[in-house]
Amino acid sequence: MAKPKTQRKLIGADVVGHLEAIGTGIKYLFKPRMTLRYPEVFQDFGPNYRGMLKLYTDKCISCTMCARICPSNAIKMYKTDAKKYPGITYQRCIFCGFCVDICPVDALEMFGVHDIAYYGLEEQVLNPEGFSKGPPIEEKPKKVKPRLDAKRGLRYERT
Amino acid sequence: MVFVPLIFPGLLTVTIVIVVLIWFERKLTAKVQLRYGPLYVLKPLGGALQMVADLIKFTFAELIVPKGSDKKAFILAPILLFTLSLLPVIAIPVSSKYAAFFSDLSLLIVLSLLTLTPIFVLLLGWASDNKFSFIGSLREGFMMMAYEIPMFISILAMAVTYDSLDLKHIVETQSSSLWGLILNPLAAIAFFGAMLMTTARYPFDITEAESEIVIGPYTEYSSVIFGLCLGASYVKLYVLSLFFAEVFLGGWNPFGGLESLHPILPGVAVLAKGVIIMGLCVFMRSVYPRYRIDQALRLGWHKLLVLSIVSVVLSLGIVGLGVL
Repeated sequence: MAKPKTQRKLIGADVVGHLEAIGTGIKYLFKPRMTLRYPEVFQDFGPNYRGMLKLYTDKCISCTMCARICPSNAIKMYKTDAKKYPGITYQRCIFCGFCVDICPVDALEMFGVHDIAYYGLEEQVLNPEGFSKGPPIEEKPKKVKPRLDAKRGLRYERT
Repeated sequence: MVFVPLIFPGLLTVTIVIVVLIWFERKLTAKVQLRYGPLYVLKPLGGALQMVADLIKFTFAELIVPKGSDKKAFILAPILLFTLSLLPVIAIPVSSKYAAFFSDLSLLIVLSLLTLTPIFVLLLGWASDNKFSFIGSLREGFMMMAYEIPMFISILAMAVTYDSLDLKHIVETQSSSLWGLILNPLAAIAFFGAMLMTTARYPFDITEAESEIVIGPYTEYSSVIFGLCLGASYVKLYVLSLFFAEVFLGGWNPFGGLESLHPILPGVAVLAKGVIIMGLCVFMRSVYPRYRIDQALRLGWHKLLVLSIVSVVLSLGIVGLGVL
């Protein structure tokens, strides 16, 4: 069997390699940043983003379809006076949007909000009353949209 | 003479320089990686006080001494490590009239004091009674052999070139001739490489290696003592950068004339040169990944050692030809 040829490098090759590495570092030093200052600048997710849900109790016909389709058992029906209404726990919700799709009367709606902090786990379990309030939507100061740029990579545009 | 070790270029200056340097290191790395880095502590200046906040946090953290540790060594080793890292400052003259003491052998004093520090890294790794500490300090032991010999030989080359072991005399020689970096670039490169290894900068942070062995020898430490451990490598970097500025970058030249105004003023030039070297050292963090220990040892023994011996030959040539 033939011996594998070891590639012989020139003595200067190492030095050139190190200089190239440092040169690359310096080149990147002057490139624009690609991260967002998140809590101050928000990314606009567009209209089809699947976020937290809101229930419209006046539309709901208590068909329990949403609770049945829910793959993670996040939606549970609560009995209030005459009708049953769904409640949700965000400990389990995977934001798949099946409940919105299956609802025959469009009583559920998704919002582009996903970043809400709770003080405790039990606060994430919402009964129909809490569910119908929907996620708290703040007026966010700066929204930007990511764009792919051939030269710069990622670029953010004000919307 | 208390002023030198305590204020300039000693403890106070070191603290300020280190606080700014660590912030700069994190900010620079973040910029190269296209992100922001520390931001929220003093926002108008881009989080410049982040390290001050960290320092306060370290100071008020609980000091935990593990049960199985050798308590005296555990507590004393970091203190001695930090002190010995800072001590060489007294022998580095920052202008021809200003130093804690002048000696004919100041070059050797600086290096020999720095040589003592790895012993304390070994000691604190042993005293911690933790396998990560022990592996970390063993790595330090391996590395020590690989970097110290090239470092001493490259400095020997410079001592041969200037025909002196006195830093003051070395800097004064450079005022009338070329700077050491141009006279003997090989020695400068070998010393710079050994300097990165000594101070555990990337790509040689094999001793600390966060992703492999927690934080190496300092694993069991907490509170102020942990701050001393981490600070020691930066202090070493500071001392070696001043040393590099004096031996290779002409020291206080060409600002030696400012001495007539105040003896400290030329020292600011030395400090500025040192800070540039430190900036270059911390920039390596954003460029290189960590070497394996065998790669680092091969670099030390196969390349830096050869390079430093060649630099001695070059120096002999310089002296022989009477260039200087």
